[in-house]
Amino acid sequence: MNNTSTLTVQNVVIGVILLAALLAVPHFLKLYHQDLLIYLTINVLAVCSYRLVTLTGEWSLIHAVMMGVGAYTASLLFIHFGLDMWFTLPLAGGVAALVAALLCFPLLRMTQFYFLIGSFAAGEAIRLTWIEFVGVFGGTGGLTGVEPPIFWGIDFIDPIPYYYLSLAIVSFSLFILYRIENSRVGLTLHAIHWKAALAESVGVDAWRYRALAFIVGSFFVGVAGALKVHYLGSVSPNQASIGFMVFILIWVIVGGYNKFYGPIIGVVVLTVFDESIRSFEVMRPAIYGIVLILSILFLPLGLESIPGKIKSWFGVGPAPQDPPLTDQ
Amino acid sequence: MELFLLSIVNGLIQGGFFALFAVGLVLIFGVMGVVNFAHGELVMVGAFTIWLLHAQYGLSYIPAIMVAIVLVTVIGLLMERFLFRPTRADPLAGLICSIGVLFILQVVATLIGGDGPSKQVPPPYQGTLVLFEFLRIPYQRVFSLIISVSALGSLWFFLTRSKFGWALRAVAQDREAAALQGINTNRISIIAIGVGAALAGLAGGLVAPLTNINPHMGHNVIITAFIVTIVGGVGSLSGAVLAAVLYAMFHTFMTVYFGGTVATICGLILMVVVLIVKPTGLMGVRISE
Amino acid sequence: MGISRRDFVRTTTAAGALVVSSGLPSRVFAAGQKTVKVGMNIPMTGDYAPWGLPGLYGCQIIADDINAAGGVNIGDDNYAIEIVSYDHAYDLEKAVQGYKKMVSEDDVKMVMMLGGSTVGAIAKWAERKKMLTTTLLCSDITPDTPNLIATCESHPLYNVTGVEWLAKHHPEVKTAAIVTNNDAEYGLQSTATYQAAFEVAGIEVVDVNLHGFDVTDFAPIVSSVLAKKPDVFCMATSFYVTPLMEQLYHQGFKGKIISCTLDYYDEIIAKTSKEFVEGTIFQFPDFDDPKLNESGINFPNPGDFDAKFRKSHPNDWSAVAWEYPAILLNWIEGAKQAGTVEPQAVSATLRSNKNPAFIFGGGKWWGKDLWGQDNVVVGRWPVVVVKDGKARIQEYGSVSGWLDKHAGVLTKYMKSHGLRTV
Repeated sequence: MNNTSTLTVQNVVIGVILLAALLAVPHFLKLYHQDLLIYLTINVLAVCSYRLVTLTGEWSLIHAVMMGVGAYTASLLFIHFGLDMWFTLPLAGGVAALVAALLCFPLLRMTQFYFLIGSFAAGEAIRLTWIEFVGVFGGTGGLTGVEPPIFWGIDFIDPIPYYYLSLAIVSFSLFILYRIENSRVGLTLHAIHWKAALAESVGVDAWRYRALAFIVGSFFVGVAGALKVHYLGSVSPNQASIGFMVFILIWVIVGGYNKFYGPIIGVVVLTVFDESIRSFEVMRPAIYGIVLILSILFLPLGLESIPGKIKSWFGVGPAPQDPPLTDQ
Repeated sequence: MELFLLSIVNGLIQGGFFALFAVGLVLIFGVMGVVNFAHGELVMVGAFTIWLLHAQYGLSYIPAIMVAIVLVTVIGLLMERFLFRPTRADPLAGLICSIGVLFILQVVATLIGGDGPSKQVPPPYQGTLVLFEFLRIPYQRVFSLIISVSALGSLWFFLTRSKFGWALRAVAQDREAAALQGINTNRISIIAIGVGAALAGLAGGLVAPLTNINPHMGHNVIITAFIVTIVGGVGSLSGAVLAAVLYAMFHTFMTVYFGGTVATICGLILMVVVLIVKPTGLMGVRISE
Repeated sequence: MGISRRDFVRTTTAAGALVVSSGLPSRVFAAGQKTVKVGMNIPMTGDYAPWGLPGLYGCQIIADDINAAGGVNIGDDNYAIEIVSYDHAYDLEKAVQGYKKMVSEDDVKMVMMLGGSTVGAIAKWAERKKMLTTTLLCSDITPDTPNLIATCESHPLYNVTGVEWLAKHHPEVKTAAIVTNNDAEYGLQSTATYQAAFEVAGIEVVDVNLHGFDVTDFAPIVSSVLAKKPDVFCMATSFYVTPLMEQLYHQGFKGKIISCTLDYYDEIIAKTSKEFVEGTIFQFPDFDDPKLNESGINFPNPGDFDAKFRKSHPNDWSAVAWEYPAILLNWIEGAKQAGTVEPQAVSATLRSNKNPAFIFGGGKWWGKDLWGQDNVVVGRWPVVVVKDGKARIQEYGSVSGWLDKHAGVLTKYMKSHGLRTV
């Protein structure tokens, strides 16, 4: 279990430096990389909300589609009702949470492999609905023409203001997610994962907690989807394809899913890595594939476990345990 | 009525093809407990081999299929040895590894064939079998049907009549019990993935002249394979074959009368319904020896 | 051994490797010469590549020719043309990235795009930056995009000419069926247009079959459509022309076939037969066509261009091979008239021309009735038919003439598919 953060001088100093770095970084980048920085910030929310869903030990394949649900909701509200981002953001999260709540009834009856495949099928069915109903969802081309707000005279279509805005929203969401995980609910979720039978025996209704994690996780990824579509300007069924879902999985697993900050490390490191191999263009997915396989085989706890491993080599600190991704 | 008959024939041909790769997926899952996400890419590699060797370099169709089968089998064996065996304790790790393989195979195909428009293979068997004026089946499809039925027949024979087949089914039912009885589970795993991959390679070879070939064609294949596997019952081979034919019929008729996307949506919903109502699928009843 | 697309493939991979590749002209720059950059934000990989990459090859031929002849005089300056290309692989995020990069970092003065959702994705940003953008799909035009123009291809409008020709030369034809992909940008736009054209021509549409992009087997689709016994099989703007033609061939279809494009028709002949493909009607000529040498064609030396293209890229000719070059030439003329390469000035000059130069002649600005902005040039458009295994222009139909009379019918069908109209 994580230690809840304590307000030591050391932590405050690290926090201030981190914040300063986050605020300063876009000023050193060109437009193209500023855009990537915004998407990266949004993807941080996507992976962290996914981690909440997986806390109970169940891996879903519908998270990317839920992000799409948020993006489509925001787009439709903007296009048809002219609602600004301040309203579409929570509503998008709400609709994603609602869809998740409805899906709980069929999906959460399943576990393990069946849940994985069932969530994948449900997600594909939603995605194909967007393709089929052209009049509402725009078909394969999706919806376009979504705009960021102009507020206090600031045009948020420019990358730096939008980056600060998303940084604020994502940080706030992460704070809530962190509090949830370290609350009684979060402890129960962990208990369901590692001691399912025991949790049930002391009267924990596992279904309700799994549902809660699924719904809350979907809410935040819905917000992330809305945040993305207001900057990118458009959403298409392709963005929610299994391809993006696989990337979320990879970021979480390569980063390490046992710690709150593991997925964040994963998405940041791999995004930077991905940019650095840009010149290999066609080869990129294969390089990704190899990194993925190597990390599963040799670093099953993810990047976040590296400092612990190094410490244990030098005999300062316990060796990290290697629990399996799923328990049999 | 004529359309009905024609759709039954089309459905049967599709069903044979679905069965070929779904059976492989089920075999691998049953014996090794791992979902091979790259199974669609194995079919893709098979189809690409035909495109490269047959359409580009002029090798005859049948030898090209042989090469495809061998190549895909080798890829399957490598996956077993270096990915699935080390991660056996953890089924999700195996799945993630297979996603890695999926990326790699797609890139290899792109490097060989280019990421341009989909490739086409002219059908080696030209002409059409005219049963009635309304019932015309291209010889290429007749060939596909015959080959897939014989391949599935041989598999059935192998599983029910041979010692290996018996051992294989024992492992699929209960790996630990089988190991206790002195069955070498590693060897059985190799056979399972070998057979599964070979069937995927064959499926790729058969489908190559009938469809658009591109590095991403595995995506549709794996969705179909999942649906067939779930509907048939995870771990049940006869269930997979039955479900493949039924699902092909279902999909063909839905496509004819309601359109292609609706057919796929209904297929996915059907799968979720089966998962809820009868998670063991049509034939997935656990038989204790 | 048959038709090979290895050359396409090889060049495609090469293009994929150069993400932002600049087609630097192979000549020494004259003293005092400036360079004007023109962007191409197009698909060069993936299933849409045939409607992007060949256009880049074409534009490079044109740019090299112009540069070799000493560049072009615009205002008081002499310019060399440089093509800046970006492969977005028909992905919205990449399209936005590429577009922003071109405009903010490469300082291009005009961006050519294929169109569809990728144009929709960049439109708002482009308008805020007042950049001139061209599309091949005039259905992309909206009331809010004054600087988005379609000066060459006016997809899907010109498809009416093929139907008009069919009805005139084959009066025995009474019924038609339409089969195409169900995307809003190509399939549905085209379907609505063909439905309108068939209605005007007095041909009854007995079936409209729209399928997804996940179809692996076209046999059931074609069977169900042929069961309706149509005289004409219309593929609208399909990505699956080859497998559809193959199924038609195997299922013994004897009627007329009409399509928007028939890219790589030699490959289709290889999969079916020369006799079967004979007489297929579509809309995109090869440029060695003798009918392109007639007067009224605004393209310098089409035959010469065709020969150069096929020499450097033997198997890559597609519908768009000459379209992006035509747009480029059109833009150069606009810049000359405006006396500057600045996007706003060129945009205004082009759009204020009452008789815009159109590749097949007879051009006029249109679009307000349907999309709220007169930003598409319509004029004459060729009807192409496969004769003796070769695509040949039969005659030029008048798109503007048809629209003057029947635009209302088109609007009706656009609305019936939920497509955006004003």
